Amino acid sequence: MNIYKREMRTKLVSAAIWSASVFGIVILFMSVFSAFTQSTDMIDMIMQNYPEELLQAFGMSGVDIGSVAGYFSMCLLFVQLTLAVQSSIYGFSVLSEEERDMTADFLLTRPVTRTKVYFSKILASLTAMVITWAATWGSTFFNIEVFSGNKEYDPAIFVKMMAVIILFQLFFFSTGLVISVILKKIRGVLAYAMSLAFGMYMISSIGSIIREETLGYLTPFKYFEPNSLIIKGRYEPVMLIICCSVIVAAMVSSYILYIRRNIHAAS
Amino acid sequence: MNIVARELRDGLKSMLTWCGIFTVLVIVYMTEFKAYAYNEDMLAILDGMPEQLMDVFKMNSFNLTTLTGFYGILFTYFALMLSIQAILKGNSIISKEERDKTVEFALVMPVRRSRIITAKTVAAVVNCIVILGFLYGLIVITAQQYMPEEGFTEFLWLLILSTFIMQMVFMSIGILLGCVNKRYKRGGYIGLGIIITTYLLSIVTDLSDKFDFFKYITPFKYFDTLAIKTDMKLSLLYVVISIAIVAVSLTAGYITYRRRDLYI
Repeated sequence: MNIYKREMRTKLVSAAIWSASVFGIVILFMSVFSAFTQSTDMIDMIMQNYPEELLQAFGMSGVDIGSVAGYFSMCLLFVQLTLAVQSSIYGFSVLSEEERDMTADFLLTRPVTRTKVYFSKILASLTAMVITWAATWGSTFFNIEVFSGNKEYDPAIFVKMMAVIILFQLFFFSTGLVISVILKKIRGVLAYAMSLAFGMYMISSIGSIIREETLGYLTPFKYFEPNSLIIKGRYEPVMLIICCSVIVAAMVSSYILYIRRNIHAAS
Repeated sequence: MNIVARELRDGLKSMLTWCGIFTVLVIVYMTEFKAYAYNEDMLAILDGMPEQLMDVFKMNSFNLTTLTGFYGILFTYFALMLSIQAILKGNSIISKEERDKTVEFALVMPVRRSRIITAKTVAAVVNCIVILGFLYGLIVITAQQYMPEEGFTEFLWLLILSTFIMQMVFMSIGILLGCVNKRYKRGGYIGLGIIITTYLLSIVTDLSDKFDFFKYITPFKYFDTLAIKTDMKLSLLYVVISIAIVAVSLTAGYITYRRRDLYI
């Protein structure tokens, strides 16, 4: 409990800052919504006249960028990018920071098992991520309510979009976690975290531009692509399974590796 | 000179990693390009696309079936990655001494602090140039098999040059962050915030005319690949703004680092 509290004290501030950034992104995008829709009525008309497979290629099939959900999916991409960075930072730093700050031998000589250390630390990060997740829900529904104007929208689709965000966060968290325990020493967390998050983002966007679907299996940005969610109204089972298995496998292996890890102590 | 050599050796591993990442990316995308290269059918499909839709994907003025068009779109992402690398490199090259608790050792050596900063800046610049130069060589070599069209060499050169300026802007901001922040951890996070914010702003600028002034704030908009292609030159105004940012950041970095307390 003490370790958890100690971790939470620093994580709370960080979670608050990240939540505020998410809110900022959503409000930035949604505030231009009405200006944007005025100019997109044309797009919709043209888009309806285009062959189905063509639109599908761009993940645009049946999605109307002028609708609240269609427009929001664009914004959600950036929210996801931010959350990906946050989760990766948490994942990479939570177990490795003690060694970097030379406090690992202090912590691990306390009369607690490593299992307990592991779970307290993970739990604290999870709490912070859930807080940010909740903030994402809040900012989404708040801003949609305020800025959607007289446009109708279906809240169910937004609930679906939001519900999987936590899996998305967990994917980055657990991948970061397992990499951080595999490597002997991590000097700068940010370099790793940014490479993971932006690398995945890049794979996803270039994948959709050049329409290479196999790239989609690699990156969580494609697992929960809002556009396909809007069209089909449900998640892709394959993607969901891939994501969950990656999370479980990464969590379990990071636990096993951490328990038997050689800790680099301050000399 | 010792410090420069020392820093270069220290950064060698990450430099090689970046070169490796770019090798994989360029080879994968060049293989993908096969499907597009001068493919008339594909061109017909793309031509039929509604203009506004293409706009979202920045495809309207780029012909994906040519090397120029392909890299015109792709390069935005390369520039993004290189900017991230540059700002983190700039920050960490200064702040890592404090993180690794070697700052006392470094600063009791008989060199002035300003010389340390100079040497580290030189090392960071070399680092950026090597990665960018590697990417350039890689693209030139892989492009040979598709027989680059006229103007591609020049276009690519401008892209590289604009990316280099962006790298320098972000690197100098990174160095400033490393010099100013007493807590070494904070600098990196601020750098991260700067990258995400400016990248976001560069996207939002396209959405509405109201946000037009953002293009002066975000380096990602300074050298729009589209504008480079039409004008075949870099906009002088933004080159000047970039140089100003670099000059201000580095000067401020020197001044603050010379007289600041160290985190031990």
